[in-house]
Amino acid sequence: MLSLFPSNDYVLIAVILGMPLLGAFVNGIWGKQLGKQAVRVMALTAVGVSFAASVCAFIALAQLADKGKGEHVKLVWNAWEWMHTTGGASSATVPIDVKFSIDALSGVMMLIVTGVGFLIHLYATSYMEKDKGFARFFAYMNLFIFSMLVLILGDNLPIVFVGWEGVGLCSYLLIGFWYEQMPNAAAGKKAFIANRVGDFGLICGMFLLVHYTGALDWNGIANGASGLVNPSLTERVHVWPLGGGQYTGLLHFLQPKNPITISAATAVGLALLLGCTGKSAQIPLYVWLPDAMAGPTPVSALIHAATMVTAGIYLICRMSFVFVLSPATMMIIACVGAATALFAATIAVVQNDIKKVLAYSTVSQLGFMFLGVGVGAFTSGFFHVFTHAFFKACLFLGAGSVIHAMHARIHDGDQSQDIRNMGGLRKWMPLTHWTFAAATAAIIGLPLTSGFFSKDEILYRAFVDHTVNPLAGQGSLSHSGVFEPPPWLGTALYLTAVVAALLTAFYMCRLYFLTFWGDFRGWTVGRPSLLAKQEMAQHLHGDDEHEHGGHEHHEDLATPGYPPHESPWQMTVPLIILATFSVLAGWLNPGFETIIKKQAMEHWLEPVFKAASDGAVLFGHGNSKEWAEGMTWPLAMGGFLAFAAGTLVAYWMYVVRGGAPAKNLAAAQPALYRLLLDKWRIDELYDATIVAAVDSLAETAAAFDKTFVDGIIARLTALVVAAAGTVLRAFQNGVVHVYAAMMVVGLAVTGWFFAVPHPNGTVADVGNDDYVVTAAPGVGYAYRWDANGDGTPDKQDFGGDTTIKLHLEPGKSQMVMLEVKNSFGLVRRKSFHLARPQEPTSSL
Amino acid sequence: MTTAEITPPPHRAEPVRLGPSQLAGILVLALAALVAARFFDNAVPVIASALVAALVPRRHGWTVRGPIAIMAGLLALFVARMWPGAAGAVAAANAGPPPEAGHLLSWLIGLPIAGAIAVLFLPRQAHSTLRWTTTLVMLATLAVSLPLLHVSMGRTYHFNEDMVWLPRFGIHYHVAIDGISLWLVMLTVFITPIAAWASFGPIEKRLKDWCFALLMLEGGMLGAFLALDLFVFYIFWELMLIPMYVMIGVWGGANRIKSAIKFFLYTMAGSVLMLGAILYVAYQYARANGGVMSFDYFELQRLLIPRHAQIWLWAAFTLAFIIKVPMFPFHTWLPDAHTEAPTAGSVILAAVMLKMGTYGYMRFSMGLFPEASQEFAANMAGVAVLGGIIYGALCAWKQDDVKRLIAYSSVAHLGYVMLGLFALTAASLEGAVLQMVNHGISTGMLFLLFGVIYDRRHTRHIDEFGGLAKPMPVYAALFVLATLASVGLPGTNGFIGEFMVITGTFASTMLGHFAGVQAVGAAIGVILGAIYMLMVVQKMFFGPITKKENKGLADVNGRELVALAPLAMMIFVIGLFPNIFLSQIKGAAERVQNDFEARVTNNPPPKFYEGPFKLSPRRPEAPKVAAAPATH
Repeated sequence: MLSLFPSNDYVLIAVILGMPLLGAFVNGIWGKQLGKQAVRVMALTAVGVSFAASVCAFIALAQLADKGKGEHVKLVWNAWEWMHTTGGASSATVPIDVKFSIDALSGVMMLIVTGVGFLIHLYATSYMEKDKGFARFFAYMNLFIFSMLVLILGDNLPIVFVGWEGVGLCSYLLIGFWYEQMPNAAAGKKAFIANRVGDFGLICGMFLLVHYTGALDWNGIANGASGLVNPSLTERVHVWPLGGGQYTGLLHFLQPKNPITISAATAVGLALLLGCTGKSAQIPLYVWLPDAMAGPTPVSALIHAATMVTAGIYLICRMSFVFVLSPATMMIIACVGAATALFAATIAVVQNDIKKVLAYSTVSQLGFMFLGVGVGAFTSGFFHVFTHAFFKACLFLGAGSVIHAMHARIHDGDQSQDIRNMGGLRKWMPLTHWTFAAATAAIIGLPLTSGFFSKDEILYRAFVDHTVNPLAGQGSLSHSGVFEPPPWLGTALYLTAVVAALLTAFYMCRLYFLTFWGDFRGWTVGRPSLLAKQEMAQHLHGDDEHEHGGHEHHEDLATPGYPPHESPWQMTVPLIILATFSVLAGWLNPGFETIIKKQAMEHWLEPVFKAASDGAVLFGHGNSKEWAEGMTWPLAMGGFLAFAAGTLVAYWMYVVRGGAPAKNLAAAQPALYRLLLDKWRIDELYDATIVAAVDSLAETAAAFDKTFVDGIIARLTALVVAAAGTVLRAFQNGVVHVYAAMMVVGLAVTGWFFAVPHPNGTVADVGNDDYVVTAAPGVGYAYRWDANGDGTPDKQDFGGDTTIKLHLEPGKSQMVMLEVKNSFGLVRRKSFHLARPQEPTSSL
Repeated sequence: MTTAEITPPPHRAEPVRLGPSQLAGILVLALAALVAARFFDNAVPVIASALVAALVPRRHGWTVRGPIAIMAGLLALFVARMWPGAAGAVAAANAGPPPEAGHLLSWLIGLPIAGAIAVLFLPRQAHSTLRWTTTLVMLATLAVSLPLLHVSMGRTYHFNEDMVWLPRFGIHYHVAIDGISLWLVMLTVFITPIAAWASFGPIEKRLKDWCFALLMLEGGMLGAFLALDLFVFYIFWELMLIPMYVMIGVWGGANRIKSAIKFFLYTMAGSVLMLGAILYVAYQYARANGGVMSFDYFELQRLLIPRHAQIWLWAAFTLAFIIKVPMFPFHTWLPDAHTEAPTAGSVILAAVMLKMGTYGYMRFSMGLFPEASQEFAANMAGVAVLGGIIYGALCAWKQDDVKRLIAYSSVAHLGYVMLGLFALTAASLEGAVLQMVNHGISTGMLFLLFGVIYDRRHTRHIDEFGGLAKPMPVYAALFVLATLASVGLPGTNGFIGEFMVITGTFASTMLGHFAGVQAVGAAIGVILGAIYMLMVVQKMFFGPITKKENKGLADVNGRELVALAPLAMMIFVIGLFPNIFLSQIKGAAERVQNDFEARVTNNPPPKFYEGPFKLSPRRPEAPKVAAAPATH
């Protein structure tokens, strides 16, 4: 394999990337003509071949890694030179190539994207079967896979940004896939704009990086990373005064005693973090993800659960060596993650829309991942990305399967997704039920499933790890910028995460029990034999359905109907595979290192995170490694108890007591319940503050433009011109004697000008400390000089000397007076001030 | 050509058949491709892209497929040949200065003007002849411009042509091209035929005058980009003003007269000041040069101008240019002119004429008055960011007239260009030049696209549309593409320019400690751009169809598709292979930067040059100026 594709020119990447692009192109342009069958084949082939090639590449990488012995090996394909920019200390040209690379981290992500992607494509071929936009759907999906692969495999930040925006675009197009409904289009727009806010951060991160490190590709950034923590004041990012100026005069009160600066690493970290919160739906930019569920369910599974939303965590892992240079950023990442995990979980507890619950659960799980990478446990965070891809995709596809079944009778989108209309589905949809149960077990952390291992590891790390400033040990710092997170932080993060885990267990079990247990609440289910008779009767009475006109027709859900049906094999096979992985994938990195020695994922990713973990991640607060190992069991108990408590409470509430306690609770705290149901009204808060502010700013700008710039400036100018015209018109009145009078005045003025002399002159430095003053010539002029400026002329008579030469010592100055007399005998004088600057006191 | 073509052929969604005849056809084509590959370099990608492009228009005949295939093939050829390091490019670089065909630039300027005069002799009623003549003259101009691409531009000027015109005043006919004007010239010869072709459906009235105006305009624009004698530059500068004024005033919308006058007065006000400044500079040059006048750019560049005079001269030039750009607060003519101008007028105005301002600033304000440019760079950059990028975007968001909205978006986009020029780093200058081209492509395409719907609905009001994606899917797709290019999605052209400008701005020393803030401000524009453009897309294309007039709208027809296709392709060509363009710009941008810095570092402000007007020695790389014949 390696002989065919050398690792430094690994053209197979072109196949991995090219197939989905080809699929998108073909389906997008000729999809309608090709027909559904061909579109299906094209779409599946595109992703399938890409997956196969990915597996080949992964095997090749594994072989290379074996040979490399812990080196950070890469398969690289430099496609072409893209552009360049300037950066670095010497303002050199920084080339930016279209370059891709596969290393341990991107290899795993690539397998997830193409593998899970293929399963979801397969699922979607059945799920979307009836849709008019079948070809368009698969064109977008393939384009998404392509963009996601570009994001993952890009070897420099701008190329990652191409993928980053590309997935955002596909997300936009797919959320608004049913664009005829305005809410869908609006949700798409919201997602795009929230992501754009994040992209703003990413762009800022890029220009900071290129300026301070002089590169944008991973190797280059790593080599130049020392520029990010340069302790000298000029090399830091000045927050206040803006950019490092000085406020003087009226603004002096704004000038702080010491300028407020942050290290370039912190600036870069925060900027990139903003981008990551946008893509990975973290506080403060998470608001788009729940709305994004307006898209078709396979989209939610692929983009908004398994792959795209983990791009933020991927980027943090990818740039871990930059992030660890700034412990402040790391702490903020961890706090954002913990806060989001808890916050989203509280909302998920009361939601009734099956996809909304899963959406908030995704936000919450992403928070766990942020927490993991934020404390420096990059492997743990990334491992949760890995396991989450399986169980969350499985959950979403399971939800899709349920919705698909519900759609048989309930055509309203919101109603068919409402868990209050479900219940007891395990009877009729056994496969969906069991796979959903497996994935639920994984997400709530049932011991020995994948979620248990990955989440427990994050909880553990949150407690014992923290990052230290790589510069803390150096005494050469001229500023007080060494940030240390507070010592209680680990405990706080751990407790927050445990509460979030408890809520996770509760709401997932609630969802599971309400959907699959109890009695079916959707419609009355009749006995099959009766139903057949009824259908016959309906046929005999003519199909009155058509008279009601199309799909607006509402079925009476009280009439007995067929029970919900299990989905076809295209939908259940992916469910089974994903459920299997949800349960078993945890064994790739089971944690508990004291007992289980084989940590495949950790070992595999070690070279990637070496740079990050070497310098920066320590077991914190003076505690030893032994102490941390001793904490394994107590901390694991917390995670287990959260799982157990959450599950038991949900079981008691929804199975044993049939949901009554939940209703009582809601009735007891109506305000809190409504607040949670309304998602803490954060959307409204944003609308009332930021959106309203920008909106009114825009209104003001538009009004200002209309009234002031266009109205006043333009009109005023016109008015001035018109007024001038009016005044000048007064002179052009056509009356001859007025013209004659003006001519006389003009002649008089001109005559006076010529009648008086005009003394003028230039001063020239002729060297040797000599200056020459030359008087301007004029008709009939005679000159008289006063070289020493004492008021008495040098010569009494006016003569023809037009120049005068003077010698001047350094630092001296002198006045020279020139008098000019013309033929009319009128005299005018002018004085020149000659000054010789002091010689520089030192030759430096 | 006439109304018959506007009605689209009925939509037939036939499945693609692969019978024996089709297979045989493919085989023959493949064989032909192989044979061609034997004789010509790059035949395979060229033919492949042509074939793919020919298959893309699903509902059109060969009159549409053919031109699109040819354009795709030519663009592929362009990419292959222009590739830095490709066989052709290397040969050009190694073989020393290439044989630069004499008078090529004169042909380039002269052809459209001659065509315009020729059109005057055609009969007024012969619409078809008029249209074809115009198109062919424009295509011929495009063909004439192709040898320019053969030359590796580097730092210097090429195709230098210098003839004494009015010896007494030192006025020469001096034209030359460098890496900066190259792409603007190419943009002009590329956009004008497209605009003309697109206009040949809706424009029925006074077609002869229209063709004359179009050709004259093209000649004027080319002349202005190529002229290196300030007097000649001024002539071309005014020459292109008149046809545009007429185009708005005659073929415009309901409010056309007011807009045309506003356009004319604004532009003229700046131009007159510039003329005064040109004359003053030339006068001072003559005084410093012992009475011999010159209007030559390189000669005037030698003139060291003391501060008190320089800031006024700079202000006069710059005012003319920033009105044209336009920059806040002189931008109000632009929305009016755009809304009332006919589609082709808007396209040319946005795509090319606005670049005259940015180009002029780069060439003349920065070239002749570097000290003053530097003194005001930081403040002007502030105006470009706040008044251009941010204010323009905010205003755009609140427009309910689509053309006004695109016009304001131009203000925002050109804010990036100006910011790049003020920042004066290698990346920002290159980015600025590329962004000029990018804006021409994406905004030109947006105006062209809007013209399509305007011809059908005759309204510009955004609320009149809605749900158009259903009746007009191809149109919607193209509009979304242009939107994405406009908001700078990576992979499209818009991103490259913005990215280079922003990264370059941050590293700028010219802007002092504001560089960081201005880079951040420019990055905010990225968010705002998405907000207002997606607002348009959503309101126009998504949601249910609310107006019954929109139900039966026809999708883009063949003529429109042919006009739009090259722009759509260029979006990706620039977005994916910007290095083709940057490698030509690089040298010239470096030269601008070095010249500027050489002047400015000699006299660091505020103590910049105070002495009398005097001449600095002639630089070796400046093209030789034709000696004026001795006057007696």
